[in-house]
Amino acid sequence: MSAQALVNEGALRRNRRVKRLGGLGLWLNPLVAYFFLWAPILVLVLFSFNQSKSVASFTGFTLQWYSNILNNVVGAESAFSTELMLNAFRNSLFVGTIATAIATVLGAMIALAMARGSFPGKRLLDGLLFLPVVIPEITQAISLAIFFKVAFDWMHLLSGERMFPGFHTIIMAHVTFNISYVAIVVRARLADMDPTLEEAASDLGANPWQTFWRVTFPLILPGVVAGALLAFTLSLDDFVITFFTSGVGTTTLPVFVYGLLKLTVTPEVNAISTIMMLLSTFLVGISLALQGRGASQS
Amino acid sequence: MSSLDVELIDVVKDFESGGRRVRAVDHVSVQIADGEFFALLGPSGCGKTTTLRLIAGFEQPTAGRVLIRGRAMQGIPAYHRPVNTVFQDYALFPHLTVEQNIMFGLQMEGVEKKDAQKRALESLEQVRLPGVGGRKPHQLSGGQQQRVALARALVKQPAVLLLDEPLGALDLKLRKNMQVELKALQRDVGITFIYVTHDQEEAITMADRIAVMSQGKMLQVGSPKEIYERPGTHFVADFIGETNFVDGALLEREQAGFGVVKLMNDAVIRARLSDTLSAAAGPVLVAIRPERISISRASAEPAGPGMTSLPAKLVDSQYIGTDTRFTLQIGEAGELVARVQNIDDPPKAAFSIGQAVTASWRETSATVLDR
Repeated sequence: MSAQALVNEGALRRNRRVKRLGGLGLWLNPLVAYFFLWAPILVLVLFSFNQSKSVASFTGFTLQWYSNILNNVVGAESAFSTELMLNAFRNSLFVGTIATAIATVLGAMIALAMARGSFPGKRLLDGLLFLPVVIPEITQAISLAIFFKVAFDWMHLLSGERMFPGFHTIIMAHVTFNISYVAIVVRARLADMDPTLEEAASDLGANPWQTFWRVTFPLILPGVVAGALLAFTLSLDDFVITFFTSGVGTTTLPVFVYGLLKLTVTPEVNAISTIMMLLSTFLVGISLALQGRGASQS
Repeated sequence: MSSLDVELIDVVKDFESGGRRVRAVDHVSVQIADGEFFALLGPSGCGKTTTLRLIAGFEQPTAGRVLIRGRAMQGIPAYHRPVNTVFQDYALFPHLTVEQNIMFGLQMEGVEKKDAQKRALESLEQVRLPGVGGRKPHQLSGGQQQRVALARALVKQPAVLLLDEPLGALDLKLRKNMQVELKALQRDVGITFIYVTHDQEEAITMADRIAVMSQGKMLQVGSPKEIYERPGTHFVADFIGETNFVDGALLEREQAGFGVVKLMNDAVIRARLSDTLSAAAGPVLVAIRPERISISRASAEPAGPGMTSLPAKLVDSQYIGTDTRFTLQIGEAGELVARVQNIDDPPKAAFSIGQAVTASWRETSATVLDR
């Protein structure tokens, strides 16, 4: 009897120990994972405030590099110039704005067709929509570079005009990958929307055009804006595809930063990267908030 | 006879579903008069909602014709039809206020904003929901949203109002109140109502006429009384109210709509033939409503003229407040349920289980149906 009780007691204690260990594991697990996730970015942000120019040691807190990039204080060994940076930033905004506008319209239209239309091959097209999201960026970049080369060669052959890559090629490239993101976000919004609302509008005398602008569009607008913000962020951040499709004088901010890096890692690079990260996080944050609001409303 | 508002002529609607053809509406023909409260009644999947959608213009018939006020509706989209719909889940526009919801249809007609506003206010008063015009639909209760949906449709002054299970989402008490109110409102505005429901009680209490549907077919169309008293088919008799079905063999069709049926216990009874009975002889069903069966002490006396009396054994009795339900065994013929109203105070325990009794009913209360 007592031996049995002792065995039971031991099993119980072992059980408790296992449970405590499990609890510890559950706490440590995200800690380790988040360390992997955030450590590099943390280092970047930390060293953007480092007094020392080298990343070897942290010698003290300073805002000098942030002030430098805004005031055009250029070190002798630095390739940095505020004018060039602002120019690159302007280029990024230009590319981002136009690519976003085009991608948003096209993406929203695709989403509508996928959600409301019924046509042969819809399933296949639906699956293909996700392709740009999953194929490697470098593959897409190279394919676009080759595509433009071939297209320009043909145009040269046909019209005698020779075209060169520039803003138009970057914008077209950005549109191609952004369409998918916009379409996916808008589609999710449309899936949440009750289709009887459109029937109700029709029932009340609204033709399809009026139904779209007075019922469908206002209801999917948060999704469209969220998709546009996401597209704009991706466009601002993109390096690989931009690098492969850019021409002369079309340096965007990420390409500019890469150019700085090629010479030496300067603290200014850390500062710019931190600012870019904050900007992107902010935009994506708004996008997510809009998508979340949509989901909770319906 | 008043003029026709809606006419369906041999309407068929097929749906393609996974490569299979499904017939949702199967050769339906019906005429609905101006100002009528017409109920489409049936279990889910019987085609009643599809029929409504064919009238609304959300679906196009595969074959047959839909006429509204004498005008063929072929190819006329929903937004050009003189009908409005109250949807099952209301389908109020969530991004618009209640007032804007009601004004929507008027603005589509090109009514001035001021006039539309005035009519929206009147419409809200008509459905007894004043003062909520500035609110968003999600700030209202289910019952209130229901009224807004009604106001939004009625403000258009349609020829026909289509209602798709409008009370389905409301709780029982509210539903009862709304039934009375809807009926009063319909009498008030004089608009034809076509009302889809699966609730037989709702249909019986509200409608002028009921069409009972099953598997895409309109089995019977008639007043609630006709449907209840003279069901044409097994399905209708079973779906509307409670009915006893007894197997039998039709021996003879008499003049004046009566027939002689032999039951499984070899008893021979007279019963009224249903109007649509096709069997000339052979196996049939006899339907008798429980409240039409009376119970008395066993006696050898023959039944009076026009009456049927059968010896029975009391198997079970169940007190349900207003009534007592007695289950009777009629020998080989099977069981019958009889409902007897509890008139006496306090109710007498007149019969005990196992007792031999006599079950009787009027010959007109028993209906012979096709099996």
